[in-house]
Amino acid sequence: MREAVIGQYYPAESVIHRLDARVKLAGTMIYIISLFLFKSFSCYLVVAAFLLTVIILSKVPLGYILRGLRTVIFLLIFMSMFNLFFTPGDIVYWKAGPFQMTNMGVRNACFMALRLSLLIIGSSMMTFTTTPNQLTDGLESLLKPLRKIGLPVHEIAMMMSIALRFIPILMEETQKIMKAQMARGASFDEGNLIQKAKSLVPILVPLFVSAFRRADDLAMAMEARCYHGGDGRTKMKPLRYRGRDYAAYAILAVYVALVIVIGKVWYL
Amino acid sequence: MAIECRNLSYIYSEGSGFEIQALHQINLLIPDGEFVGLTGHTGSGKSTLIQHFNGLLRATAGDLLVDGESIYADGYSMRKLRSKVGLVFQYPEHQLFEATVLQDVMFGPKNLGLSAEEQKERALEALHLVGCPEKSYEKSPFELSGGQRRRVAIAGVLAMKPQVLILDEPTAGLDPRGRYEILDEIARLHKETGITVILVSHCMEDVAQYADRMIVMSHGSVVYHDTPAEVFKHRQHLEEMGLAVPQVTSLMQSLAEAGIPVRQDLITVSGAREELLRVFGGRSV
Repeated sequence: MREAVIGQYYPAESVIHRLDARVKLAGTMIYIISLFLFKSFSCYLVVAAFLLTVIILSKVPLGYILRGLRTVIFLLIFMSMFNLFFTPGDIVYWKAGPFQMTNMGVRNACFMALRLSLLIIGSSMMTFTTTPNQLTDGLESLLKPLRKIGLPVHEIAMMMSIALRFIPILMEETQKIMKAQMARGASFDEGNLIQKAKSLVPILVPLFVSAFRRADDLAMAMEARCYHGGDGRTKMKPLRYRGRDYAAYAILAVYVALVIVIGKVWYL
Repeated sequence: MAIECRNLSYIYSEGSGFEIQALHQINLLIPDGEFVGLTGHTGSGKSTLIQHFNGLLRATAGDLLVDGESIYADGYSMRKLRSKVGLVFQYPEHQLFEATVLQDVMFGPKNLGLSAEEQKERALEALHLVGCPEKSYEKSPFELSGGQRRRVAIAGVLAMKPQVLILDEPTAGLDPRGRYEILDEIARLHKETGITVILVSHCMEDVAQYADRMIVMSHGSVVYHDTPAEVFKHRQHLEEMGLAVPQVTSLMQSLAEAGIPVRQDLITVSGAREELLRVFGGRSV
């Protein structure tokens, strides 16, 4: 249960960690878009090289990164299988009923698996190197223009950071409640699906009660300290671009150009 | 029912690089029918240890014998163990979930597979034991006061009729009256039914007042396992571990240091009163 969170922050001293959260958010968006714009393997060479550079620079161990993939391995396999057996193509290697294996199928299966892996690793690089607080700060700053059309940007960012902050607390609470009910003879892995679902009631009810209680307490504590939303609120550590952030934007631009050019001239 | 630990060790998140040795080679024998106080500073491993007693945690090394049988033996029924060893967690009222008090207390017996009448019978008996007023049986547990909810939660464990009852800080956050009522009820239950009681507490007065023997833990090891009167002789060592002796013991020891010939091994107020009357009786001070 402790490992269920993908992309949990990995503390380290690195260039990537020190980058402004806004750069990393924008970079991740650009990276994801670049993954979906092209259909050539050659582009993915550039993407993979870029990702590898980021990983090495970030000092996050490779094993730690790959562990995040473990949780989605079934999705990966499932998707590849679908592509492998259902894609029509020019050369048919094997056919049985509705299933067929074609050259396009093999290509698509590899392509999809690669795309999804790059997507997950790439986006988790952001959460590995950015604390939830920096992330919501960055998001708030990037979304600021939307305040003009009435979007409560600060409130949304605050809700996000509170939600993230409470995940480990609620996990711990769940463990505690499970143990307490087990001490009263409850078991959670016996019987059919309906019985299993029913056995969750003794966990979920106390969990919700305690979540509401915590939310109440937190709201009270925030009000006691005169919190009144985002208007006129200053930051203790305001986000400020530095030289390395501009350099990172420049590198991103070069990356995008490179992917486009390679995709155009070399189809693989 | 006796509980015996043999070289019991427990390591949190073993093999992950974030290992924490929570229990270190614990050897203990808690005989049948004893009232044991378990104490130690925060993080000393008390809560970890008691979760081994009903199999919620599995030792990483060593053995645990309940009633002479190893609970780690193949085919040992954890459900049966949990019906024999009842564990009341800290703030147990946070685990209430049913629509009525009575139904919540019936949850344990229901899991034991008892008939509906038996479930109800046991629940009523347990609620009576903890002194829960009858008019609240059909109320929602969330309507009750904190102290009442705590009683209902303790009743939820008692309804399983455990032969060993473990309570983790059962009086935390209660007012003085609530605390003595609950502790007195536990002491009465111990006397009337002869079950083994293990009381985890930071409060030395509580341990001194109720326990036959006490266990002091520090950094995952058992430091003392003796009668409270013996353990409280080690005032300095206890204070070094972030613990204390009962205030009245501390008073008697200070009086003795000031040259007044009183016994220093007294741990309860009533005992100290008698001693002071004996020493000062007939003399005007």
